[in-house]
Amino acid sequence: MEKKTFTEKFDAFMMKDSTFILLVMGAAAAIFSGTYLFIKFGTGAFNEISIVAMLTDGMGSGDYAAAAGFATGFLIARILEGPLVGLMDIGGSLMTGVGIGIPAVFLSMGWKFPFSNFFSALLVGAIIGITIGGIIIIIRKIVPDGMAVGGTGIMMGAGNAVGRYLAPLIIIAAAQYNVYTGIGALIGAAFFYKWEKEMTGGAILGAMILGAIFL
Amino acid sequence: MLEIIICSMVIGALGGGCIAAGAARMFHAPKVQAMGAFRTLGEMNACSGDPIAHFSFGLGFFFSAAASAVAAGALTGEVLHRIVPNWSAASLLVKNKNVEETVWNPRKMMMAGSVIGAVVVVFLNTMAQLIPEKLSLIAQNVLTPATGWLINPVMPAIFWLAAIDAGKVVGLWGTVLGGISALVSGNAVPGIVLGILIGKSAEENGYKNKMVQILIAIVIVMFIAIAYFRGFFGKFV
Repeated sequence: MEKKTFTEKFDAFMMKDSTFILLVMGAAAAIFSGTYLFIKFGTGAFNEISIVAMLTDGMGSGDYAAAAGFATGFLIARILEGPLVGLMDIGGSLMTGVGIGIPAVFLSMGWKFPFSNFFSALLVGAIIGITIGGIIIIIRKIVPDGMAVGGTGIMMGAGNAVGRYLAPLIIIAAAQYNVYTGIGALIGAAFFYKWEKEMTGGAILGAMILGAIFL
Repeated sequence: MLEIIICSMVIGALGGGCIAAGAARMFHAPKVQAMGAFRTLGEMNACSGDPIAHFSFGLGFFFSAAASAVAAGALTGEVLHRIVPNWSAASLLVKNKNVEETVWNPRKMMMAGSVIGAVVVVFLNTMAQLIPEKLSLIAQNVLTPATGWLINPVMPAIFWLAAIDAGKVVGLWGTVLGGISALVSGNAVPGIVLGILIGKSAEENGYKNKMVQILIAIVIVMFIAIAYFRGFFGKFV
């Protein structure tokens, strides 16, 4: 066998199933530390305002039940679903589960260590990530290969079809919002279509540019 | 201030790199375990390897994320769902238009993602107020409804029709689980996807097969768990 270059080896490593555990570890550490940054400096949480508000409510009142219940429910469902589908949803599992739910559980228990400094936050986040990634890979190994293969073609076909809807939806949304953004999206999409560029980009840029000038 | 910048750089590089690599693996799912979201996959396919489309899609969400960061310190889920994957893709596609060699490659996406993640997170945590409010407002009012519709009801309808077109067994499982999923979780897509998996497996191996039975059992337990945690049973009162 010929010797592989480092790049080829690294490419192969990045495609290994078990490398997933490392990716979840990194992502979870980052998102958990983002929450640490938010608690300490008031900026940096990786979530929507309404969900972050559940955590801030808890920090004010000391009652974390809303954040903990909502977010850990999401986390458990996503961990079960991820390995069956082959795609773990990072919104429910990591951003909401690890970013909001688990911090809420720790804070309600009065466990301050994860938020005492940046490195402890990174460390605790990484451990949470390894655990989640590990559970998902274990479930994946228990459910044997070949199980999912039959449905893949159908799902990938549907997934690809979804993308085509985005450009028309953006033009409709722009038209409903304001006459200038609507005209901009229309012109941008029409030109991009004519130039055989992706219409989505034209619609967004057109709406932004005309909106910025006239609104 | 310096502490925020350093922490943001570490967080952005680490998270951006891992998420971008996970996004590249989505194009190989379910052969390898990926992470991301079906909507991210659909949106990245919508931009179909055009760097301008990937960039402007990410840019729109960058504006709305900036508004949220200024208002409440919440960077929004868009940073990792949309901005990092799409800008990473755009940066790779400028040099090489072949998606199989760029966007589908987890190593290249990880490197691009960590650079972009670091820059985006530092910017949002320190300089978000520099983005004019007007641009954020336009982005929110145009992109939020459009992507909202895409997630529900466009995606469920497309997946549903795909399940129905794949034959009686798949169609029936997709319909039943899709409906249950819409009831308990608010979106039918996870149920339809699982219905396709179960339906295809049952079609190929029969219901006597141990693994088909286990799969059905796991899915039932999962939906009961989701229903419980999301307070579905309380709705009957």
